Amino acid sequence: MASVLSQELVTTAALLLGVSLVVFLILYLAPGDPFAALLGGRNLSGAERDAAFEALGIPKTWYGQYLTWIAHVLQGDFGISMRSGQPVVREIFSSGMKTLFLTVGSLIVTLAVAVPIAAYSAVQPSSLRARAGTLLVYLFSALPTFWLGYMLIYFFTRKLGLFPILSATDETQEYGWLYALLPVVLLGLGNGALSEIVRYLREEISRVMSEEYVRTARAKGASIWRHAYKEALLLPVSQIIAAKMPFVLGGAIIVEQVFNWPGLGRVAWQAAQDRDYPVIMAVTLLAAIVVRLGSFLHRTVYVAVNPRASQQ
Amino acid sequence: MSTPPLLRIEDLRTYFYSRVKHAFVRSVDGVDLEVVRGETLGIVGESGSGKSVTMLSAVGLVTAGPGVITGKVTFHDEAPQDLLQGLDSNVKIERRDGRIMHITKDNQAWQKQANLNLRGVRGGKISMIFQNPRAALNPFETVGHQIAESVRLHTGMKSAAQAKERALYWLDQVRIDSPRLRYDNHPYGLSGGMSQRAMIAMALAAEPRMLIADEPTTGLDATIQARIVDLLDDLKTRLGMTMVLISHDIGVISRLSNRIAVMYGGRVMETGPTAEVLDEHANGHPYTRALLASTPRRENVTATGRLPAIEGEVLDTINVPCGCRFRARCQRVNDTVRTRCETREPELFEIAQGRRIRCWLYSPQ
Ligand SMILES: Nc1ncnc2c1ncn2[C@@H]1O[C@H](COP(=O)(O)OP(=O)(O)OP(=O)(O)O)[C@@H](O)[C@H]1O
Ligand code: SF4
Ligand SMILES: [Mg+2]
Repeated sequence: MASVLSQELVTTAALLLGVSLVVFLILYLAPGDPFAALLGGRNLSGAERDAAFEALGIPKTWYGQYLTWIAHVLQGDFGISMRSGQPVVREIFSSGMKTLFLTVGSLIVTLAVAVPIAAYSAVQPSSLRARAGTLLVYLFSALPTFWLGYMLIYFFTRKLGLFPILSATDETQEYGWLYALLPVVLLGLGNGALSEIVRYLREEISRVMSEEYVRTARAKGASIWRHAYKEALLLPVSQIIAAKMPFVLGGAIIVEQVFNWPGLGRVAWQAAQDRDYPVIMAVTLLAAIVVRLGSFLHRTVYVAVNPRASQQ
Repeated sequence: MSTPPLLRIEDLRTYFYSRVKHAFVRSVDGVDLEVVRGETLGIVGESGSGKSVTMLSAVGLVTAGPGVITGKVTFHDEAPQDLLQGLDSNVKIERRDGRIMHITKDNQAWQKQANLNLRGVRGGKISMIFQNPRAALNPFETVGHQIAESVRLHTGMKSAAQAKERALYWLDQVRIDSPRLRYDNHPYGLSGGMSQRAMIAMALAAEPRMLIADEPTTGLDATIQARIVDLLDDLKTRLGMTMVLISHDIGVISRLSNRIAVMYGGRVMETGPTAEVLDEHANGHPYTRALLASTPRRENVTATGRLPAIEGEVLDTINVPCGCRFRARCQRVNDTVRTRCETREPELFEIAQGRRIRCWLYSPQ
């Protein structure tokens, strides 16, 4: 088990390195000068520029710059935001946490809705409740996220008057927590993947339910879920988390726009506008980590559940 | 004869719906069976004759619809207990001209009630082993845990340590080599024969009154088969176990069972003591005779390695003829019985004490 997981960590490290290198190269090759601000906006000749770099201790080659960046990152230093002059870590920490909250929270909402409906309709496919649940799921999946979002905002602000529009940052407000939950629920239900997830889970559950070992469980008078949950729930759910993480992250960025939610999406957008290179690098890396967390979780569950995998 | 049978099945009917043919498959179509205490009842019959579904129905393990629709299953351990009690209120049957046209069944309520009826019986007083033991064991759990679970569910031994001790005892009883080692093995590490031993240990760990063994040796190598049969024979004598053994293998059946029931097209065609039913020269049902003639004995195995089969096709239980089910394949219809064979289904005529045959040739009149 430990060896499988350490292997996974190595893969993750290699992947992050690759992602950062590619993004670094794209930024390097893209028009615009990352050092324009540092050099005070002056248009320097090649020699003057070299001298200025030397004075500032900046390597001249791109790989030299990249290695310097890596060396700093390894010490937890992501540099200084060019826009705000604040350390990047401080800049993106709170927005990163907000996006993580949105992403993980919405995944939890998705699963909290999908798992019972899938389980119910796998076990009692013809029951009324199973049909109603499935219909509801299809309905949610068919509606576009942004439309659903605006409807929610309209409903809560105009109809119920619970909070004024666009006040996400004001957490002291009475219904602030509700306003924070709204996008989580929206993304969880309306991310378009809900019906696909329900279908996948339902198929997995009914497949496992007809496995012979589940019949054995029934024949011995044991709880069938106690025997079936590993293959019917743990594995497919972690599989879904791994597969959907990138999409949920993408969806989070849309929802952040709709709800004026100060998350990574907005930071990334702002940074791209401002060519705030250190922030762009950090945000990309963070997104890659979040996505990677999904497959890391899946791998961990797989190894923990599967006796063969954990023997190797 | 005064003690009631341990299990009595009366007029059990289990149907499935075939979407392809838009008709009911009458897998079990009015089965009557008795299992006497201490005996081993062998159920034989061609593939598809309803052997497995009969026993699965008796313990509420049929989940596909419509499933069990009528019948009475009485399990008499200390007091008689109707395992299908209160279930018919969930089934509505529409008949026309005596044929079932439409079945409405509240499967959810049915399953709920069945599970209630069978609590403590299924897996406890009646336990089961299946064909294909490697798939029947949970691949995600150690063999030992699965056996210990059976101990904890159905015996007074509730603590983990006690259950483990007991599970090891049963692993030893089924003669698995190095039980302590096997206890911690996952099923993938076990051979087919060892898995079946583990299954048997798991079934016995509940200390059941009755063991249902559905094709316990099918799919195993010949030498392993023989060893599993030896083991079952030994356990049954040592534990005085009542057993229902389902098999197509007449050899296995004759080795282990005291009594035999022969099934065809969802019905019992013949019952009686093993020696009499399997005696080719004695009286018997034409189907059983044909079955015996087709069993692989050395002189019957042809050069191509194929076994002679019974002439004709197995009855599809969708279009059951109105006379005898076996008529289309029967070689012994004669002029005396022909009209009756074609028009009325024979009942199980008792030709001697404990010997019944469903054939007009044995009708008392
Ligand atoms: N879940 C189901 N749905 C539809 N038909 C079924 C179902 N289970 C069994 N049957 C049908 O019922 C009939 C009897 O099946 P059963 O398994 O009892 O036969 P069997 O005598 O045990 O045969 P075998 O020796 O092949 O195990 C078969 O024709 C089978 O196709
Ligand atoms: S009842 Fe008639 S058709 Fe049926 S087995 Fe007997 S002789 Fe053959
Ligand atoms: Mg069978």
